[in-house]
Parts: sequence; structure tokens; C-alpha cells
Amino acid sequence: MSYHNVEILFVEDSLDDAALTVRALNKCGFTNKLHHVIDGAEALDFIYCRGNYINRAKNDSPKLILLDLKMPKVNGMQVLETLKADPVHKSIPIVMLTSSNEGPDIERCFALGANSYIVKPVDSDNFFNAIKEIGMYWMILSQPPV
Amino acid sequence: MKNNDANELIIANKEIAFQQQEKENRAAELIIANKELLFQYEEKERRAAELIIANEELLFQNEEKERRAAELIIANKELAYQNEEKEKRAEELIVANRELKKAEDDIRKLNDKLEQKVTERTAQLESVNKELESFSYSVSHDLRAPIRAINGYTRILVEDYADKFDVEGTKVLQSIIHNSKKMGELIDDLLAFSKLGRKEVTVSEINMTNLVETVQQDLIFEEGENVPDFEINQLPNAEGDKSLIKQVWINLISNAVKYSRKKVGTKIEIGAYQNGNIVTYYIKDFGAGFDMKYYDKLFGVFQRLHSQEEFEGTGIGLAIVHKIVQRHSGTVWAESQLGEGSCFYFSLLSATNK
Repeated sequence: MSYHNVEILFVEDSLDDAALTVRALNKCGFTNKLHHVIDGAEALDFIYCRGNYINRAKNDSPKLILLDLKMPKVNGMQVLETLKADPVHKSIPIVMLTSSNEGPDIERCFALGANSYIVKPVDSDNFFNAIKEIGMYWMILSQPPV
Repeated sequence: MKNNDANELIIANKEIAFQQQEKENRAAELIIANKELLFQYEEKERRAAELIIANEELLFQNEEKERRAAELIIANKELAYQNEEKEKRAEELIVANRELKKAEDDIRKLNDKLEQKVTERTAQLESVNKELESFSYSVSHDLRAPIRAINGYTRILVEDYADKFDVEGTKVLQSIIHNSKKMGELIDDLLAFSKLGRKEVTVSEINMTNLVETVQQDLIFEEGENVPDFEINQLPNAEGDKSLIKQVWINLISNAVKYSRKKVGTKIEIGAYQNGNIVTYYIKDFGAGFDMKYYDKLFGVFQRLHSQEEFEGTGIGLAIVHKIVQRHSGTVWAESQLGEGSCFYFSLLSATNK
């Protein structure tokens, strides 16, 4: 598998959610440069070229990070906090994907610098549309800082 | 001899003259002495009179003294009695003070115990609240995920494997999609309801006419749907949490619209009446109505008085209305006749200055 020129880093521990999200992005034509990691620890390894990603080019940052909140080991909030506190990576847009709008998460995420906060819809039509809109907005409409 | 006699006579005369003189002298002295005696006598009498007066005075003073002495004896007795009384009172006071002190100690001990109990209970409540919060978090997070998967995978079957299923099989797949979606809605409703109990009520004066008009204008109708006429009367202002009371109106108005859907050219009437500092709002429709026999179920969570086929819904709307009005210390009730329509009422404290 190639880790080069990854445009979307997709951090999601649920393989089902991952499969459905990838399929939705696929159907809209956004999958060619997506990489899926299964928890926050692996996401940080990827960004900082550690562990399995030691050979990845350091200056090759993704254009977008889709980040699940609730994950084992390092959760989404911790990944968000680490990256947004890092001057090198803080400009990468991070879209939080979460299963619920419960709890104090939303405010905390925006305070930490999240660029968007999406509650994954249960209904597959709505879910598909949400993923499609995220892809459209962040990969096509939104202008990157560089 | 004669000479002698004469001499002797002369001498005798002289002697007599001298004696005479002497007698006169004595008489004069006696007169003086008598005068002296008279004066002394008068003096003595004056003194005696003065003494009598002085004696009388002394006698009077003595009597006075004796009277005073008698009074003093009485006064002393009185004082002695009062002293005894005072001592008795002092002892009583000491006893009473001791009792008071003990009562105070008891009260303090009870207060300490109560305070400890309150602290314990508060801690318990807080922990139960936290548990509830994390419970609803898990419910929303952990239950939604598998339902999303069921719904999503079934959709994949429908979209990508349609040729593998016959008509019956496709129907079953649609049922799975429909039901999993429904379950998602139920979970969201349940969460919205449980959130209500935790949300703080921020009270301010609500311009009710404005609020109701906003809610009515935000209604979305599908194409070809029966749109009822709205008759919104002037509504008095009330005290309440604006976002929560808005939710009450959203639920009541959309209910009225939903249950009026099958009647053409119908209307929905909104009004209010005031009684003292209580204002009662009502919303009256001429739609499907319900059987008052089932009234006790009307405001229950997930309770429905119509089938899903007749009118869709999860049965959370009126439960939310009930909870919000209850949290405002108000009352909510309804009257209805099957096929004729319903009227829902809720009361709030009227705005104080209007």
C-alpha cells in the first residue's frame, strides 16, 4: 500500500462505519487518495511518520482529516488537540465525525480548533449525503491555506 | 467733863453719820443686787421656756426617729425577701441556661447531621446524574452505530445486489431499512427527552404572539398537502424559557397540522385567556381528534393514540410538551372528540409587568 500523496486521512475504529463511509466517498469519486487508520495512535503515527509510517515523506500532509471521536487508545479529541497545537500541522482541516450530539464534545472540539463537527446520521440516505457534502466542500470548494 | 461729853457726842455723831452713810451705801448696793437678782430670775425663766420648747422639739424628733426605725425594719425585711427571691431566680436562670445550652448543642448536632446528610445526598444525586449522562451518551453513541450499520448494509444490498432478490426479498430489505431508521429516530427522541430534564430553565419575558407567529411561519408543508388556515389571536406575554416554550409551540402546532391533514379547508385557532397571574394558552384544531377514554396515555413517552399508518410519529412530542410545562410549574391538558378535533391548553405565569 502506498502512503504517498494521501489526500484524506480517515480515522475510524468501527470497520462498519469505515466501510460505509469509504463506499459513500467512492460513489462520489473521492476515494483514490484516502487512507484509513483504525485509532488515534495510528493517526498520529501517520502524521508524524512513526512506527509503520517511518518511511512516509514528512512534508507530505493530507488535505483533510476525517476524525472519529470515540476510539480506543488515543481518542479523536486527543488527536485534534495534538495536531491543532502543532504549528506545522494545525492548518490541516479536521472534520470531526461522531455518532452522537450528546455530551460536552461539540464545544470542546471547536475550542480545540476543529473545522467542522458532523453527527453521523443513522439513515443511510442522509449518511450518504453527509459524506458526499463533506467531500465536496473540503476537497473541492474549500481553498487550502498554501 | 462737859467737853469730854461733847467730844464724845461729836464722835458719837460722827459715828452715827458714818453708820448712816454706811447704811445708805448698803441700801444702794441692795437695790443694785436686787435688780441683779431680778434680771437673773428673768433670765432663768427665759431659759426655762426655751428648755421646754427644746424638750418638746427633742420629743418630736425622738418620735420621728422611732417611726423611721420601724419603717427601716420593714424595709430591711422587704430587702431580705427580695434578696432571697433574687437568689432563687438566679438558680432558676442557671438551670434554664444549662437547658438552653443543651438544646443548642442538640440543634447543632442535628444540623451537622442534616448537613452531612444533604452533602451525602447531593453527592449521590450528582453521581446518579453523571451516571445518567454517561448512560445517555452510551445509548446515543453505542446504539446508533450498529443501527447505522444495519441501515447502511441493507442499503448496499438494495443498491448493489438488487438482481439477487425477488419482489418479496426487496420488500423485506425495505422493511429493515425503514425499521432501523425508525429506531434511530426513537433513540434521538429519547435522548432529546432526557436532555430536557437536565437542561437549565432560563426564565425571561416571552413575547408570545411573536413566538407563535415565528413557529407558524417556519412550518414546512409538502406539495399537495392540506394547509389549514391559522387564526392567531393576540396573546399575553408570559414568563418562561423562550427556547423551551418555542419547542412546546412547535410540537403543539405541528401536531394540530398533522391531525388536520385529512380535512380540507380546516382551520387551527390559537388564543389565550388570563386568570389572575396565570395565563392559559390554547390551540384548537378540527382534525382527527382522539378518544378521551385513552386520555391518561396522551402525555406518556412513546404513547400513541393513532396507528403509524394513520398518522406517523414516535409519540414523544406531547411527552416533551408535558415535561417542559411541568418544568415551568405550569399545567397542560386537553379536550377532544374523535373525528371532531382537539383543543390543547397549557398555563404559565404571566409576565409580571404586562
